[in-house]
Amino acid sequence: MQELSRILYAEDQIDIQQVAILALETVGGFTVKTCNSGLEATMAIDNFKPQLLLFDVMMPDMDGPTALIKIREMPDYKNTPAIFMTAKVQSNEVQSYLDMGAIAVIAKPFDPMTLASEIQEIWQRSQQ
Amino acid sequence: MTKDPDNVDIQAALQQLKVTFIDKIPAKITEIKQVWQTLKSEPTDDEVSQLLHRLTHTLAGTAATFKLEELAECAREIEHTIQSFSTSPSESLAVTEIESLLESLSNIVKNTSTSPVTSIDQTDPPKASIASSSLDISKNNLVYLVDDDEDFSHTISMQIQTFGYQVRSFLTLALFDEALKQQEPAVVIMDVMFGDSKSAGIDYIAERNNDRAVPLQTIFISGSHDIVTRLNAVRANGFAYFTKPVLMTSLVSAMDKLSFKVEDIPYSVLIVDDSATQSKHAALTLQQAGMKTREVNDPLLLLNTLAEFTPDLILMDVYMPNCTGLELSQVIRQMENYVSTPIVFLSSEDDLGKKLGALSLGGDDFLTKPVKPWHLVSAVSSRAFRARMVRKLAETDGLTGLLNHSKSKECLKNELARAKRENTPLAFAMLDLDFFKNINDTYGHPTGDCVLKSIANLFNQRLRKYDIVGRYGGEEFVIILPNTDLQAAKKLINVIRTRFSKLVHYSEDEDFCCTFSCGIAAFPEFSSEKSISDEADKALYQAKEAGRNQVICARKQSSAEDHLI
Repeated sequence: MQELSRILYAEDQIDIQQVAILALETVGGFTVKTCNSGLEATMAIDNFKPQLLLFDVMMPDMDGPTALIKIREMPDYKNTPAIFMTAKVQSNEVQSYLDMGAIAVIAKPFDPMTLASEIQEIWQRSQQ
Repeated sequence: MTKDPDNVDIQAALQQLKVTFIDKIPAKITEIKQVWQTLKSEPTDDEVSQLLHRLTHTLAGTAATFKLEELAECAREIEHTIQSFSTSPSESLAVTEIESLLESLSNIVKNTSTSPVTSIDQTDPPKASIASSSLDISKNNLVYLVDDDEDFSHTISMQIQTFGYQVRSFLTLALFDEALKQQEPAVVIMDVMFGDSKSAGIDYIAERNNDRAVPLQTIFISGSHDIVTRLNAVRANGFAYFTKPVLMTSLVSAMDKLSFKVEDIPYSVLIVDDSATQSKHAALTLQQAGMKTREVNDPLLLLNTLAEFTPDLILMDVYMPNCTGLELSQVIRQMENYVSTPIVFLSSEDDLGKKLGALSLGGDDFLTKPVKPWHLVSAVSSRAFRARMVRKLAETDGLTGLLNHSKSKECLKNELARAKRENTPLAFAMLDLDFFKNINDTYGHPTGDCVLKSIANLFNQRLRKYDIVGRYGGEEFVIILPNTDLQAAKKLINVIRTRFSKLVHYSEDEDFCCTFSCGIAAFPEFSSEKSISDEADKALYQAKEAGRNQVICARKQSSAEDHLI
């Protein structure tokens, strides 16, 4: 099984970004490329070559779902696992993200101490 | 007692992020209120309504992330009410509801601001001084600037911000007083004269400090050279006193000292004890105080660990098998690199004569077992602090606080050795400011010094804790990035380059910007110290030739590894 290390993370809120970076880099030991919008993520992806996408849903410029659709059009990233983070966790919305090809939806607010292990678990499940 | 030290650091870092966020909330609420006013006058404007939706949504989300439940709840409610307002703007009930929710939002904030700060800054003082090397205080970069001269205030706060401080300025003492109740700054910059009173600023600080256990960290600025005023400033616990026009580099140096920006890395202590239980106990005690420890239980393995760990202090048991602590301390003292590393003995020895003997052989202190935890911590941290100061003077560049030339080279050697041992990548970057001579010639050397200091501050903010930055000379810098490949290094430096090129520097005549060029070489592409630094230098030269303000990576000639870049 491939070890998870590179995560492309998109979130427009700098305060949340910092908490997530702490959670993913310091606690989790992942290498994280942070983008401020979905648009930035679509531009950064080729240089970074992530193994996993972690997108906030609601962002200006381009929201998470739209960014994922754009990324799925790129041949290299057709199957890169994606996770959405959102405060809205109504089941029909969660289902619509899963239908788009997301492997999981993480509810906001997340716990910075356990976010990394949660993602690790999701990753391992997706690799089986 | 067995808290994971990393965990403690993370909690402190989280707390600091929370404090930073709390400070931004009032501005966010003001923005929300403004957009709400716009929406009220143009209820059908979709863009405004979406903006308001997003602002409240993110406030709710961020507040929830920091566990500010009440605030999150209130913002969430506003978000929902706005959605229903947008669908039927004629509904006057929604207007009243939003207005009243906005009011409660402001009230919650007034109550929020005070609580988390007190828990960070003013817990019991002895603990705070021990932990001064760890995260909590060092990352507080909030500065309160109090001056009734609006123009001066504006200019100076812009300048301070370029050094990575967060500045809030106040035109009156009353406004400052109000803010002080809400959040503690790391540093106060206080004008001495207000209105007709020649010493209102000093009087005010003196009065505040009377009521406080820990004085406000204050820097006074004044138009007066008068000794009586200076004396009063000292009596009011003023840390520094500058006369206008204020020299930026001196002001920022004083601020750096006060805000502990200089002491960011925890003390590292090497514990030598043949008993693993004893060394573990000492290690845990020191870790609790935020220090990093390494234990050696076989004295004959000391030298390996010493070279790799480079401790701030060595804590040594006196009686061990194979050799005694006293013999070992003599060995250590005979090695040039460790002449100034303090050695503290730990033993059940109670004989004063023997203790003095130990000190004469190169020890610095003698603690008698069983030693109380707080005694151990304070003995270790005060010695480590002074040793670090001494070392710092010898190893760093006075202007920027970065490592000097010879220390940078030594670090490259050590890090390269480590990278080879651990089989990890290592990047080495050489940077040179573009047209720096012109800056010195045009704006004068003090302004040039400010530029050097500001880039040093930018490095400190943008680089990771374990990255190493040195000033190689003049306007040339080096950065050692352990565990970083060429591509990642290029990206990182490019971020800094872009950021630096946007920094506005100030001189008496005009504002200007400055850029740098950079060359990077990395291990394993190049494997000797000399080849890495030569190749980085060549790449830097190419970056200059190619038009400056860019980063160029050294490629290995005719190698299959080229595609890495």
